[in-house]
Amino acid sequence: MSAEPLLRVEDLKTQFFTDAGTVRAVDGISFEVYEGEIVGLVGESGAGKSVASMSLLRLIESPGEIVGGEITYKGETIFGLEEGPDGELREREDMLTNEEVRTRIRGNEIAVIFQDPMESLNPVFTVGSQLREFIELNRDLSNGAARQEAIDMLREVGIPDPEERYEEYPHQFSGGMRQRVLIAMALACEPSLIIADEPTTALDVTVEGQIIDLVDELQQKYDTSFIWVTHDMGVVAEICDRVNVMYLGEIVEQAPVDELFYDTKHPYTDALLDSMPRPDRTVDELDPITGVMPEAISPPSGCRFHPRCPDARKACKRIHPENREVARAEGYPHRAACIKHDVFGSDYEESVPIENGAGADQQTPASATDGGRGESERTDGGEHDE
Amino acid sequence: MGLLRYTAFRVVQAIPVLIGITVITFILANLAPGDPVRLMLQGQEVDQEVIERVERQYGLDRPLHERYVTYMVNLLQGDLGHSIHRDRPVTDLLIQRAGPTLLLVISAYAFALVTAIPLGIIAATRRNEPTDHVSRIVALIGVSTPSFWIGIMLILIFAIQLGWLPSSGLVYPWRSPAHYGYSGYLELAFQTIRHLLLPMVALGTLQMATLMRVERTQMIESLQGEYVKLARAYGVPERTILRKHAFQVAQLPIITIVGLNLSTALGGAVLIEYVFNINGIGRLFLEAIQSLDYQLIMGITIVIGTMFVIGVIITDISYAYIDPRVTYGDRD
Repeated sequence: MSAEPLLRVEDLKTQFFTDAGTVRAVDGISFEVYEGEIVGLVGESGAGKSVASMSLLRLIESPGEIVGGEITYKGETIFGLEEGPDGELREREDMLTNEEVRTRIRGNEIAVIFQDPMESLNPVFTVGSQLREFIELNRDLSNGAARQEAIDMLREVGIPDPEERYEEYPHQFSGGMRQRVLIAMALACEPSLIIADEPTTALDVTVEGQIIDLVDELQQKYDTSFIWVTHDMGVVAEICDRVNVMYLGEIVEQAPVDELFYDTKHPYTDALLDSMPRPDRTVDELDPITGVMPEAISPPSGCRFHPRCPDARKACKRIHPENREVARAEGYPHRAACIKHDVFGSDYEESVPIENGAGADQQTPASATDGGRGESERTDGGEHDE
Repeated sequence: MGLLRYTAFRVVQAIPVLIGITVITFILANLAPGDPVRLMLQGQEVDQEVIERVERQYGLDRPLHERYVTYMVNLLQGDLGHSIHRDRPVTDLLIQRAGPTLLLVISAYAFALVTAIPLGIIAATRRNEPTDHVSRIVALIGVSTPSFWIGIMLILIFAIQLGWLPSSGLVYPWRSPAHYGYSGYLELAFQTIRHLLLPMVALGTLQMATLMRVERTQMIESLQGEYVKLARAYGVPERTILRKHAFQVAQLPIITIVGLNLSTALGGAVLIEYVFNINGIGRLFLEAIQSLDYQLIMGITIVIGTMFVIGVIITDISYAYIDPRVTYGDRD
């Protein structure tokens, strides 16, 4: 897109320095968020999604620290390093101070909605007073006006009798209602970007549906951009415009949502999609991703997904691919970090497959249906590929 | 309305507890070895007839249950019986001695709260730093050192070695300055504090140490709460988070501990009053036990028991007032 992105993240690295070693929770991710779009950040638990999103607000607590990269928001540098005269990296002069991030960015420019609506509200204050506090802090409104805004916002997110509910405490609200309150908080501060960190994970499916519809509707009304952090591909399909798939601290695939679903370029994304029940495919058995995600303390050599990848070859163990543009769709790049694509110019084609159980799992069971399914999906994907 | 009903409900609930206290105290006092009349006569040889007359005079010849009923009827009229040994109404003795004890216990609690809460918060915000370790050691010593020993040490250091503070007795702020020969109320206040300082610290240290540790743990937990994360994400200043968002939630267990530790504090007061020669209920209690003055023993036990029950009720009510999640029983 030609327009300047609202938020640009470049090569962001956030690490946790623990006794057991350095945890590279976010290891060089780059993505952009443009005005008015919902960008998904998808991956398994522990992929670094939440750490990445909290890094954007510089809300990483010790022993964690942002150690590299650049975060630019509306032309302001939320985080940026430069090389000092002594050769050491130091914070850039134009980087916002902690106080500036707190007063100028948090809440009024970038707001968040957290995963757990049960714990996110303070149990000893009324819902209204919490809402009002955040509004007063982030907008130039008088006491009375902030109260009115809070009530209006509660009504806006579909809370019945907002005047009465304003005076009530969080424990008097259901999970879904509390999540609505959190959405009201985020919108009431009139930010340009909202980070929604797994906002529907703690809710049951019907409520999840309602919340997603609500966000969709309000997003269009207020034209706020969203970063939607989730592990649920179904939610991604429903709400996101563009998607970043994260694996072990890295973004392995980045594409507009339809492109990602119909022309998947990374085996991990493929595996994620296969492991999810889909209404457009009938299968006897879901196909989970084999193994567990390795620890970010000592990631595997080469491509980090190779020990679980059905397409892994010898070369994958050696080459660590960056996220490269492999196609374009809807004016956005489709990036993937997998050396099987030609742009990497690797010796993937000549390399021999490795036995990691991931590929074997699909083929060795003698059952014909199983093998057949694996086969057909493979070619299905292949058609799009070529 | 909810709160008022809850209060009434708690008070009514306390009635069986209070009756229980009187029954147990009455039975225990009467089962205790030793004959009060003989003790009163202090080994003098007297006729059996005289003993019987004294027993009749105090109603000691009647069966236990009858005596209990009489006792309860009198109790409801505010009459806690007559001290055989001191030949005075127990109620009078208690009223006279209650002031010093209340002064001591309340000031010890004030001392504990005023020191423990800020120290606990500091320890929580500097978790695992030297400040935190020092506070942990201080708390450990405070919890494991008997209050009477602390009292004796304080006397040795501040009264005998340094001579800064008096070692015994209290000055009561409710008396007139002239009673002590002071020039005015300012001197009275000054002397009250001077006399109170050592026993207050001796009695309050245990409470302070306990409360400080609880405050620390609670603040750490509260500061890790999602609501604190949310407040930070919305740009709430760290000071406000500490003072408002995290603090308010962390205080709930403190209230419980203050209420429940009231019994420990009253028990501690017995020893502290003895060490510092304070004429409070605690010392009266010790003297009553030594002389087997069981009307007095019962009176004091009932009063202390009642104070404890009241303490628990106040705890519950303030809890309900501060924590909106506590229901009053008229909601689900």
